[in-house]
Amino acid sequence: MSERPLHEPTFLMLTALAKGPQHGYGIITDVERISDGRVRLRAGTLYAALDRVVAEGLVEADRDEVVEGRLRRYYRLTPRGGDRLAAEVARLQHNAAVAAGRLERRGRALGGTT
Amino acid sequence: MTAAGGLEKSYRRLLRSFPALYRSRHEEEMLGVLMAAAQPGQRRPGVRESADLLWSALKIRIRMATRRADSQPWAAALALTAVLLPLLMVALKLTFFLVQGTRYGYGTPADILIGAYGQPGAYARSFQLNSYSIAVTANVTGALTAGPVPALVLAALACLGWRRAAAGVAAVVPLAYLGISLTRDFTLLAGPRGDVTLYAYGLEALILLMAPGTPRGWRALRWRPSALLAAATVAAGIGMNGGLRSLFPSARVNLALLGPGLLRYRLAQMPHGFIDRLFGIGAGGWGHWLLYQGTLVAVILVALTIMLLNSPASRRVLALLGFPFALGAVIYLFSLISPPLPGPAGNTLSAAPVLLTLLAAMVLTLGRSLPAGTSP
Repeated sequence: MSERPLHEPTFLMLTALAKGPQHGYGIITDVERISDGRVRLRAGTLYAALDRVVAEGLVEADRDEVVEGRLRRYYRLTPRGGDRLAAEVARLQHNAAVAAGRLERRGRALGGTT
Repeated sequence: MTAAGGLEKSYRRLLRSFPALYRSRHEEEMLGVLMAAAQPGQRRPGVRESADLLWSALKIRIRMATRRADSQPWAAALALTAVLLPLLMVALKLTFFLVQGTRYGYGTPADILIGAYGQPGAYARSFQLNSYSIAVTANVTGALTAGPVPALVLAALACLGWRRAAAGVAAVVPLAYLGISLTRDFTLLAGPRGDVTLYAYGLEALILLMAPGTPRGWRALRWRPSALLAAATVAAGIGMNGGLRSLFPSARVNLALLGPGLLRYRLAQMPHGFIDRLFGIGAGGWGHWLLYQGTLVAVILVALTIMLLNSPASRRVLALLGFPFALGAVIYLFSLISPPLPGPAGNTLSAAPVLLTLLAAMVLTLGRSLPAGTSP
């Protein structure tokens, strides 16, 4: 059975972790960078999403660090999470290729009639 | 207190909305993220940030509750109840139809469709006695709750293993009924029988959404307790429709078989009208019919079923099945003791459990299917 498409914030979060382990605030800033400032996760949203992807086995805790008296927990992509992200990338690429091909044909057809 | 100190304290207060177990694992790191994301000199959490934290806390609470429901005995119980409940509802409808039909006539297909069992010509009469809109409203609500079609469709979908479609049908019944009643000041929600049916549909929607799948329920179904529960349902249906007296008018039972004389005396001293109506018997001579009455038979059969249930999953099935019927039974008993509570108070009381069941169903569905979401 094919899996459901990932929601954009989850997709961006997994993409952020594909670079390597990151802590919560690192994920927020990276997601903002990846999406050109369009998606800014709030802390509550981030942790609700993390709770779900950890439960699904896509992400796991990597290590804890204490920086300036504050706990930082790093998260990393699991092999399963990597596969899931790759499958989503393939799905999006396929859809984009089909859409681009059709738009190109449409453009040619419109160009031919004028 | 410094700005950062005050902000941290406010964040900690907000984080208390998360479940204790979750907080013990994530509070410190979440606080780190919140403080890192704060603006310089910020003194208190923003409105959107606070709303986001509270909303996420609710989602995590629901998710944790749902995960608990995914544990083995509960998952098995939910799958089992998802297939058992529609079958019992069909058994109950069929009993109503047969008992009332035998006594007073089966009526036309339209009478049966609107659940007017034993009331031949009720459908046509409703248009003669009421305005067109009231007759249509009453018939639609009758078809939804007392009528057999939703229960039959639900049972068929559950049998086919179409879980989501079945959940949709089960949810449509109370939602449509509630929608109609909202336009009529909840006045349609009065009535014990309709309420029991609504709870049962609401519960079935909830169970189907949470159950791992109906095929698993079919595999877990054991014939002996299931047959006893079906028999108890039929017996209760008979009891709610006035007992077997009218079906076997000449039958007599010697009460001496029931027990010692003192018990018979005590029973005879109980409020006459209440006992008569509870066991569905006419005034005078209730003792003769005690053995025949559905309510008593149902109680005995349920007790036997409990004795047969020896697994944690089976006991949970009974708890799940008992929920709507316990609520309905309370209202039913109230309606027997005295006239139903008058006006809006009584109707609101009737509506409250339906609303709560639906609310729980919606919240749990939300917890299952919510996307991660972004901040606005």
